[in-house]
Amino acid sequence: MHELGVVIDIVKKVENIARANSLTTIDTLVLQIGELSSMIPRYVESCYPAAVDGTMLEATNLRIEILPAAARCRKCSSVFNPLKHEDCCPHCSAKEADITAGREFMIKEIIAC
Amino acid sequence: MKDFKVIEIKKSVYESNDKEAESLRQELKDQELFLLNLMSSPGSGKTSTVLRTIEALGEEMRIGVLEADLDSSVDAGTVAETGTKVIQLHSGGMCHLDALMTREGIEALGTEGLDLAILENIGNLICTAEYDTGAAKNAMILSVPEGHDKPLKYPIMFSMVDVLLVNKIDAMDFFDFDMSKLTEYVTRLNKDIKIIPISAKTGEGIDQWADWLRNEVKNWKQNK
Ligand SMILES: Nc1nc2c(ncn2[C@@H]2O[C@H](COP(=O)(O)OP(=O)(O)OP(=O)(O)O)[C@@H](O)[C@H]2O)c(=O)[nH]1
Ligand SMILES: [Mg+2]
Ligand SMILES: [Zn+2]
Repeated sequence: MHELGVVIDIVKKVENIARANSLTTIDTLVLQIGELSSMIPRYVESCYPAAVDGTMLEATNLRIEILPAAARCRKCSSVFNPLKHEDCCPHCSAKEADITAGREFMIKEIIAC
Repeated sequence: MKDFKVIEIKKSVYESNDKEAESLRQELKDQELFLLNLMSSPGSGKTSTVLRTIEALGEEMRIGVLEADLDSSVDAGTVAETGTKVIQLHSGGMCHLDALMTREGIEALGTEGLDLAILENIGNLICTAEYDTGAAKNAMILSVPEGHDKPLKYPIMFSMVDVLLVNKIDAMDFFDFDMSKLTEYVTRLNKDIKIIPISAKTGEGIDQWADWLRNEVKNWKQNK
């Protein structure tokens, strides 16, 4: 499980943002994770309590949104989800495609005051 | 009742590392130092390939090595025996190196007079691909025993590297490894990739690898 170190880093980033905006109470942290990311949402969730322990984010809720993967066909340029179509273009059956989305790992927003 | 509001952040977790990597790359360019990031699963042959590379190019350029093993310094010791400048990095239990750790390593190594620095990344095909180290080029090793279907399992890694070394080809007869299938899977993900079959054991293919690397180092120094 390699998520913990990265989540600890995210917590630090969010704390800095909160301080810079004079926020004192954070209720929820919303992350976005691409379907192709090596960060597995289930593992991010399970290490979250350890990562926020003793920080400003202790007792906050974590919400994770999944961003779909996308690929563009090199032959016909149509865009499709490579995970749903097994790397083969559903329009022209070509196998060559470039991944255009799905690798993201974003801090989307916080709900705070 | 407190007045909670939504504060939009929209920041990539990788953004600060990407910036750090870009500035390290620029500095290395100014110093004419080519940094190669070498990645693979554990045991695919990174250290053996580093040793072969030193053997092939050590007389014509000055090489330094950054070893990033998780907890041992076995690899650094092996490389140091060749008389090459080598430094052991400690990633503090992380499973990848980021640009800051790489920068610290480069500074500890000392860049003076070096032409090529090789970073032996941590043995892992997953998150090493998501952290730009600031390297000029990225290389990965896939060894024959791992199978030709690895690109299907680790698409991100295969889509981001500049060169793929297929190592342990001396053991080809013992495995049902299909080089043409591998090439097909890899080029689907990455049309510009260079694939070089090698054996770090027998030395087969090392010439071709050394040619590729020599040429890249030359271009890096010229296109300033
Ligand atoms: N048959 C064969 N064995 C090889 C070859 N290259 C490396 N090996 C063997 O594979 C094992 C691992 O090689 P290393 O070079 O230590 O691999 P590594 O990627 O540096 O390993 P870690 O740093 O532990 O991740 C060693 O026992 C090597 O002798 C090769 O081309 N052919
Ligand atoms: Mg090694
Ligand atoms: Zn198509």
